[in-house]
Amino acid sequence: MMTKTFTMNRPTETLLMKLSLVTGATLAAALISGTAHAQSAGNWSISLGANNIAPKVKSGDLSAPSLPGTKIDVKDASAGFVTFTYMLTDQVALQTFLGGPYKHDIVGAGAIDGVGKIGEVRQVSPTVIAQYRFLEADAALRPYVGLGVTYAYFFKEKGSGTLTALTNPGGAPTRVDADNAWGVSPQLGVVYAFNQRWFADLSVIKTYIKNTTHLSTGQSIDAKLDPLSVGLTVGYRF
Amino acid sequence: MRREFRFWAPCASVVLAALLAACGGGGDGDQNPRVSYGKLVSFGDSLSDVGSYRVGAIAQLGGGEYSINGSTGVNWTELLAASAHVAAPCAAQTGLQSTIPSIPAVAVVNHAGCFGYGQGGARVTDPIGIGNAALPAPQLGQLTDPVKNQILRHLAASGGAFAADDLVTVMAGGNDVFANLGALQQGLTPTQAVTAMATAGGELGAYVKSLIVANGAKHVVVVNLPDVSQTPFAYALDQPTQGLINTMVQQFNAQLAAGVAATPEVLLVDAYTQGRDQNARPANYALTNVTTPACDLTKTALPTSLVCTASTLVAGDVSGYEFADTVHPTPFGYSLLARFVAENMIKNGWL
Repeated sequence: MMTKTFTMNRPTETLLMKLSLVTGATLAAALISGTAHAQSAGNWSISLGANNIAPKVKSGDLSAPSLPGTKIDVKDASAGFVTFTYMLTDQVALQTFLGGPYKHDIVGAGAIDGVGKIGEVRQVSPTVIAQYRFLEADAALRPYVGLGVTYAYFFKEKGSGTLTALTNPGGAPTRVDADNAWGVSPQLGVVYAFNQRWFADLSVIKTYIKNTTHLSTGQSIDAKLDPLSVGLTVGYRF
Repeated sequence: MRREFRFWAPCASVVLAALLAACGGGGDGDQNPRVSYGKLVSFGDSLSDVGSYRVGAIAQLGGGEYSINGSTGVNWTELLAASAHVAAPCAAQTGLQSTIPSIPAVAVVNHAGCFGYGQGGARVTDPIGIGNAALPAPQLGQLTDPVKNQILRHLAASGGAFAADDLVTVMAGGNDVFANLGALQQGLTPTQAVTAMATAGGELGAYVKSLIVANGAKHVVVVNLPDVSQTPFAYALDQPTQGLINTMVQQFNAQLAAGVAATPEVLLVDAYTQGRDQNARPANYALTNVTTPACDLTKTALPTSLVCTASTLVAGDVSGYEFADTVHPTPFGYSLLARFVAENMIKNGWL
């Protein structure tokens, strides 16, 4: 047990990525012993895994001067993440999501569909969720629903030669700055308890969030990002 | 207690990693084009002229390009060169054969290593373009070497071939419009004028294929003729003439398109449609004036943007003007054209 604990102590993102479902599931399966135990009031748990964030972008138009209908799309990104869960009651849990950083490509859409990558952005989006867990506290399989709040923090935005050619040809490279934003995050998930300590947690979160991205040319573009996040973790309950 | 601490440590480090990553700023990203070009070779007229007549009196007046001259007074070929990460083009030939008494003639000089062949006044095939000294005096004496000769001169200077990594641009036809309109006064019929434009468009397409592509160029950007009927020059004419100009431009473009069709080495950029869209929806392009010149042509020494500078502008903010004079774009107008050409090239995997 202590050996496993020590392994999970390593503070790198790489480890979180490595501790993806295959490794995690194998690890957990090896540790299955006895009956499932309670997700009951007062319990703490931590879980580690991988998460994919796939934005479902509804883009506004890039402000003038631009080809009318110049829009963006944002590609999906995956990263390791960790959750902390506290059972307020046998049914109600509070969960915190921390993960990333996620690196998303920004590509042209609308009138400039086909130009490919125009930039990239990294983000972390910590989320706090209140969950209601169905079935008995000691049920092996517990579906749940949740509703949370997400803060998306964007950083290390980068432009591209394409973006410069489309917005400031012959001038300085165009820089990108994405506004941070708050979002609302409904969640569906299910927890499977391998035993009294170890469990797997599959979570699907839809986040309703929009922001504005600014260019160093003075232009800006609004977009609803509304990502779908699918995460699988393996966790340990205290 | 000890075990709890060990479990919390990863959390702290994840947060720390995120914050540390956040401390790093953004960046320019990869500014390189997707195709590595060696140089820009441009053929055409005043719209591509990077200083053929920046000599003698023209240079002394601070002029040389058909725009608002100055540090930002560059045309679309120069902007495209920057986007393609190649050297800014320089005029392959300079000189002025002026027959205006107050403007001395300047000897014609060819410049090795310069590949900006576009010359103000140049036509597609006819060597006697607008402002040529062979026309009745007084003329500014623009050299007006036609596009066909420009290409032949380049081949002669380059061992008869284009380099595979050349980015070649071709844009012409406007001076054929002006010359044929002028010929209406000498008895040319409107129908003949339209036919002449169709012929010129077909010839330009043929030169692109038989002289440029056939001699090794792999990336030839052909920009068609913008709608000359939507310029201050045309707005000063009657409606039937404007309609005739539009027809002439369309016929030129149709034959040009037919001439370069199904040629993978050629990317035809529809500046005609784009220009009309800019005219129809100026606000989208941050254009504040698409009808009158930014240059005050009563202040300029000659009635052309060739000698227009910041000190010869109309009153007010002209940063959103499309036209510098009655036909040529402002630097901002050229920038919009450069963006549109770049967008087409990027979509084609060429930039």
